[in-house]
Amino acid sequence: MGGANIPLEEHRIVEKPYYLAQGSEVEIACAAYRNGLPLLLKGPTGCGKTRFMQYLAWKLDRPLITVSCHDDLSTSDLVGRYLIRAGEAVWMDGPLTLAVRAGAICYLDEVVEARKDTTVVIHPLADDRRELPIEKRGELLIAPPEFMLAVSYNPGYQSVLKDLKPSTRQRFVALSFNYPELEQEVDIVCQEGGLERNIALSLVKLAIMTRNLKDSGLPEGASTRLLIQAGKLIGDGVDIQTACRVAVVEPLSDDPEMLAAVEDMVGSLF
Amino acid sequence: MNFPALNKQFYHLVAPDIPNDWEVEELLEPYIDQSDEVCQEVFKCIPAIWPISNSLCCDFLRIIPETLRILPLSQLSSWVGEILDRYELDGLRAAQRFMRDVESGYMNRSNAGMVLLGEVEGRLLTFIRGVAGRDLLIAPGNAVFTDTETIFLPPELAVFSASADNILLYKLILAFQWAYIANGTFTLPDPIAQEPMVDSESSLWLNTFFASFPQPLFARDCYFFLETVRAARFLEQALPGLMRAWAKLPCFILPGVEDKNISPQAAVLTDLQLRFLNGSLLKARQEDPLPVLRDYWRRLYGEGVSGIDTVAAVKAICAAHAPHEADGEEYEGITPLLFQGEIRLSAVEEVHRQRFLRQGGELVHSLALHLASLPKEQLEQLLRSEEEKENGTTGLESDVTMIMDSEFAGTAAEPQAPLLITINNEEVRLSEEVAEQVRQFHDEFGHLPGRFLSSAVGRAGEGLAPDAHPDPEQGEELQAPICYDEWDHRRKGFRKNWCVVTIKELPDLRSGFIRQTLGKYHGVVNRLRHQFEMMRTSDRFARRQRDGDDIDLDALVESLADGRAGLPSSDRLFIKLLRDERDIAVVFLVDMSNSTAGWVGNAIKESLVLMTEALEVLGDRYAIYGFSGMRRTRCELFRIKEFGEPYGERVRERIGAISPMEYTRMGPAIRHATSLLAKTDARVRLLITLTDGKPEDYDDYKGEYAIEDTRHALLEAKMAGVHPFCITIDHQAHDYMDHLYGPVNYIFVNDVRKLPLRMPEIYRVLTT
Repeated sequence: MGGANIPLEEHRIVEKPYYLAQGSEVEIACAAYRNGLPLLLKGPTGCGKTRFMQYLAWKLDRPLITVSCHDDLSTSDLVGRYLIRAGEAVWMDGPLTLAVRAGAICYLDEVVEARKDTTVVIHPLADDRRELPIEKRGELLIAPPEFMLAVSYNPGYQSVLKDLKPSTRQRFVALSFNYPELEQEVDIVCQEGGLERNIALSLVKLAIMTRNLKDSGLPEGASTRLLIQAGKLIGDGVDIQTACRVAVVEPLSDDPEMLAAVEDMVGSLF
Repeated sequence: MNFPALNKQFYHLVAPDIPNDWEVEELLEPYIDQSDEVCQEVFKCIPAIWPISNSLCCDFLRIIPETLRILPLSQLSSWVGEILDRYELDGLRAAQRFMRDVESGYMNRSNAGMVLLGEVEGRLLTFIRGVAGRDLLIAPGNAVFTDTETIFLPPELAVFSASADNILLYKLILAFQWAYIANGTFTLPDPIAQEPMVDSESSLWLNTFFASFPQPLFARDCYFFLETVRAARFLEQALPGLMRAWAKLPCFILPGVEDKNISPQAAVLTDLQLRFLNGSLLKARQEDPLPVLRDYWRRLYGEGVSGIDTVAAVKAICAAHAPHEADGEEYEGITPLLFQGEIRLSAVEEVHRQRFLRQGGELVHSLALHLASLPKEQLEQLLRSEEEKENGTTGLESDVTMIMDSEFAGTAAEPQAPLLITINNEEVRLSEEVAEQVRQFHDEFGHLPGRFLSSAVGRAGEGLAPDAHPDPEQGEELQAPICYDEWDHRRKGFRKNWCVVTIKELPDLRSGFIRQTLGKYHGVVNRLRHQFEMMRTSDRFARRQRDGDDIDLDALVESLADGRAGLPSSDRLFIKLLRDERDIAVVFLVDMSNSTAGWVGNAIKESLVLMTEALEVLGDRYAIYGFSGMRRTRCELFRIKEFGEPYGERVRERIGAISPMEYTRMGPAIRHATSLLAKTDARVRLLITLTDGKPEDYDDYKGEYAIEDTRHALLEAKMAGVHPFCITIDHQAHDYMDHLYGPVNYIFVNDVRKLPLRMPEIYRVLTT
């Protein structure tokens, strides 16, 4: 009955991911893990939430099962469903069930994108009960101490329609992420993008300029991720202006005026 | 062309006006000799200008024969467009001036890569806000300067022949002005005084500083020049790319220095300017005659200089070049560098004063809130001491000091350390938020006036922290009027900010209208509700899907049986929950012109009642606005129901209160409705207009002009993803409806009595 398990080993993170702590988030997350508390990560896109989870999974030596939530995500997509195989109905564990069984870390990325009726299935897992009822099988899974639930969302751009319900929110230990401080971000871009420090510094300055535009027409400024991507292009021999255009400017907006202004910033910096 | 033909054509074009015979004769005389082509082109412009200003049109006709020697015929219409823009912007005189000055005003710059500020403003604003990280503003001005909140730029730049270079110059100007602001060039505090500026009313220290010299103007120019060099150095570090591009500019215009009869001081400064521009200022820094300046240049490229160093350098320069009797020429200022602009301390002062008042008010507010949340004993203690102060020596301010928590002093966490404030020896610990605000205020203005704390204590004592936010309910009638452009088909361009739309609320009117209507259509309402309930989509199961939440047992049994029987078995074995939500937002625009009086208006109201009843069942988002008004300056929109407002007694009363008003200027109403719809996130956005005829207003908003503007407004709506539809009550369909909405997007109802029944039906068909 166990279903065709996705080999858990594939979810294990073997190599130490690069992560530069912004504060005491690693210690807090470890403490939450020891006490069986779920985590809520908030922060703008590309600021390191997912990387933090990878780092945490590596540090705790647990497999990390990530589910990217979307508005069509149903309860069965998380918990599991019956499939027909050779005339037999076979139960197939969903990622959440799999993580509970194996004592892994289950990370629901962009959890507000999921429908509200889907998010409630995590409620019993996210309080002191730590259990997952599988109605279709009449089974009640008790989560082992190794299991951890983490969800993330971006409070910046979601509309009021997509907000977490208080009943969901108030189960989590919440860690707020933001873009790193200038020096740290330069370090990260240097390390990850493989760049010289002065170019990395200019890239970070560019990102800060775009982040200043948050109230002037850009929904969100350039993320650290974009800078790293630009850095990689530069490292591969693409010239700086072009790399900035394709990796930073164009992904940000389609508005020609905005694009021209950000291009102006690139031109002014490099 | 012969005169009678010209004359006839002219009168035809300006109809229904009938200008004087002799004037027309004088105007048209020069055209008798012109070719037919010229006459036709010129006459084409008359309908665009005449309705806007008769005298402008006469001037236009007078000036044209002369102008056409310079201006190519092909550019005539764009030139006319610009004349009209000037007229609308600055009035008749400006338009006439622009018209006469065709050579330098229009031709020269249309050849050179002239850049208009209006065209690049959005881009520049975004640029400088991103770079500066604060909400600076840009405005056209007669000179380049900044008041530290707004940067004033020339309305047009034609310094270089390539437009890209002119844009670069705009950016350079912006960057320099920002650098002055960021370096605190204008707000330098007194470097010697211990007590910083005491009050908001006191002027900037720089004023006093300049005034202390025998030649304040020279001191000011020296200071500003040195600060410009400092700003350039600052920008080289902050925006190296921009500064490199600047160095590459073809040739920078230097201020004129041919005049030999300039004062020695001006010569000194001009020489410095020249050396700055060609870059030799810093290379040959050893050769500077003044040791202070030599040191200044060295430090500028070394550890950096501050405004205080500039002050010292200015003192040295002024001392070295003190005016002599023998000089003859008085120092009268020099031409500032283009990007440097002017230093206008009075503007800075004004802004500074306003900021001080505004931020001070906010600070007092949050301090009061904070103090009010303190334990009662502490607050009482504060109040007592405050009272004692007041009763004692009058005019003495509360004794205030800010203390950093000593535990944190000297540690890395110092800037984040909690802030303590002692008010009359009473220690008050501030919350993080308030402390941040206090710190910001202190950083910007250099001190925290004691009276702020006094008034904060006072307010906290009154137990009522004043409400900073005005009641949103009250704002409705006062909502600032919104300007919309209007399309003028004659010149194929917009009249900028032409119509002023005010949003108004209909007076509440208790009437039996709704009750009567509901009673009259009792059966219909029930049927409609039923019909619309059927349209309400809800979650439903789809069977026989390839994947889904559960197994479809029927399909599985069939498939297994098929398999046993040797038939190919289906793989569609699952049930899926489908969620097709109706995601529709609709705005009803109701014509409230006086032509709807009587039957038509009643029918419209009745149909709105039925419609809302049906929509409430369906759950679509909807808003209802009535429109009317007179002339472009008074386009009125009456809010009957806005999005998100529940349907209740008030909405019903407002529907009952719909009554015929004035004219039908449709364009602005459509544009406003479009902007409302654009703000919703619905997948389908509908704009349904209920009208009884053509768009028309009291002024020249008639006929073709009105139809073309409405059509353009509808096109804009379509571009914004809004689907317009029109229900028109008329005896017969008109051709213009086709032209306006397109062949399938309108319907005409010739029997008014049928409208209430037809409308929900139309809506149902539209949205399913």
